[in-house]
Amino acid sequence: MAEKALHIELSRFGDRSMQDLINRKKLIILAALIMMAILPAVTQSPYIIHLFNVFFIWAIVVSNWNLIMGYAGIWSMANVAFLVIGCYTSALLSMHSGLPPVICIPLSGLVTMLVATLFIGLPSLRLRGIYIALLSMIFANMLPDILRITRHVTGGSIGLPEVPPLFEGITPLHSYYINFVAFIILLLVVYWIINSRTGLAFMALRDAYELATALGISEYREKLKVFALSSFSTGIAGGLYVHYNGIASPDLLYISTFLMAIAMMVVGGMGRFPGGVLGAALFVFGGEWLRMFGIARLTIMGGMICIFILFFPGGLMELVERLDNMIFQSRRKELPSLETE
Amino acid sequence: MDSYFMIDLVNVLISGLLIGSLYAIMALGLTIIHGVIRIFNFCHGGMSVLGGYLTFMFLSAFGFSLIPSIILSCLLMFGFGLILYRTSIAFLVKKPNWEITSVIFLLGLGILMENLILQLFGPRVKEVPLFFEDVFEFGSILIDQQDVVLVLFVIIFVLGLNLFFSRTWLGRSIRAVAQDMNGAKVVGINANRTLGLAFGLASAVTGLAGILLATKYYLTPQVGWDWMFKGFIIVVFGGLGTISGAIFAGLFLGLVESLITFYGSQSWVWPAWFVIFLIVLLIKPEGLFGRKSASY
Repeated sequence: MAEKALHIELSRFGDRSMQDLINRKKLIILAALIMMAILPAVTQSPYIIHLFNVFFIWAIVVSNWNLIMGYAGIWSMANVAFLVIGCYTSALLSMHSGLPPVICIPLSGLVTMLVATLFIGLPSLRLRGIYIALLSMIFANMLPDILRITRHVTGGSIGLPEVPPLFEGITPLHSYYINFVAFIILLLVVYWIINSRTGLAFMALRDAYELATALGISEYREKLKVFALSSFSTGIAGGLYVHYNGIASPDLLYISTFLMAIAMMVVGGMGRFPGGVLGAALFVFGGEWLRMFGIARLTIMGGMICIFILFFPGGLMELVERLDNMIFQSRRKELPSLETE
Repeated sequence: MDSYFMIDLVNVLISGLLIGSLYAIMALGLTIIHGVIRIFNFCHGGMSVLGGYLTFMFLSAFGFSLIPSIILSCLLMFGFGLILYRTSIAFLVKKPNWEITSVIFLLGLGILMENLILQLFGPRVKEVPLFFEDVFEFGSILIDQQDVVLVLFVIIFVLGLNLFFSRTWLGRSIRAVAQDMNGAKVVGINANRTLGLAFGLASAVTGLAGILLATKYYLTPQVGWDWMFKGFIIVVFGGLGTISGAIFAGLFLGLVESLITFYGSQSWVWPAWFVIFLIVLLIKPEGLFGRKSASY
């Protein structure tokens, strides 16, 4: 129904290139997915497989972060901390409760959701964005100390070195496909939220706040829904990561990890759907290449954040759209920007 | 037994007051920037560490004495803030999503500065020498002269800054622009120039705070983040834009920190600060001394 309306809307303006763009986008995404699915048949290199595993996890985390920050307008800066909470929960559960890791991972998603919603999600209903940014950064900054206080359980600054794998006799190839499937499912969820009534509600709240609330859209309910769902996904990503890696380590809480994640989001494109995936790909694969600059790697990343924010606030996705405009010479109107205030 | 307890308590209180006054001056730069452009300066930490490292550089590489190097560093920081405002912030704040974009820009800049400092000066811990090495003795209570000088300096500096904002033309025009940009323009204040100067002033104050903290503690490229988060908590706790609130909150949190460190463990400091911050935000988001305004 909505698709038909969009179609009519577009053809009325004599503007078909947007549809072309969407179709091209879909084709490219499909091709990329197929390539990822048959990749292990092409290369058996454990290094490449490992990079892809890391990429899948980060793509989930950054896309969900993008959903919270770019769409819902909750400036949570603690999503890497949510990932760490997911990691530790799943690791501790599987080590101490005797439950198989396959069950621990959704449980860790639930725990992450509860903690994140309690400390960041609920306050965000009352407070303006910037205060949530402060609160969540301080929350993330506090976690290493919490780990140090509970070191007899969580291992303190050493972490938990012996986390059981997902199941006995797992090979990197198995984890590749498991992470791949999780990547597809969780990104479909993100895509579905953006295009569902919730996504529409956010757009309505952004464009005409009074009208939207008068029509009965509850900002609180929509925000909480998105926040809970994406912290749940982030927790699941944490569970997958820790069982894949075999170590739960507080290193993820370093400011450099946070920097990498935010660089992924900003460079990929804030408030644009596959932006997080693009950013994750760029920094996971390109980050390996940047390693040859050694210590200058983080400087380059910080510089990239500044440059992109100043000149391309829509990130790589904006660049892609501009290029597409240039190549196909269309008179397409600007795509409605999905950034909230 | 009891007298030992008292002595400990007095020592803890004194160190709390000292830490608190340093935190208060840390928060001043944040307050000024928030006052004029309504955003939190997320590269506050980078700026303060830069101030400390500049002083270190003047001291060690050029062999200046302490006071001239501090003055020179503050001047350089002023120029840094001015240029930063003119080249980027002024453009960012005109864009539609200016709040989130400028926050992320400043965050990226903070990371950039941290790592540039890391590359220029190396990861080793640096120290800026003390003003005075001696110790006052009152019975079994010892107070470093350095600490007394720092507290006095902070008090004088804050009073001076207050005078600047209430008496001088520039200070008053900064306040005018902060309160009502259009009104200020109507009465003939060059808003852009004033904002740039305010930003420069704020970064000079931030750099100075970094230098003072460096004389008390130490300098590493990363230490600025910690200072910055503490500064955030203090300005929100005390009420944005109120200098007296920042000082009160700084002293209060300094006392909390030294009590926790003494009777518990260092690890509890951040959780305690987080809980305090959360409670303040939920109960009184305008802060202790802040005025109520529409949006938080």
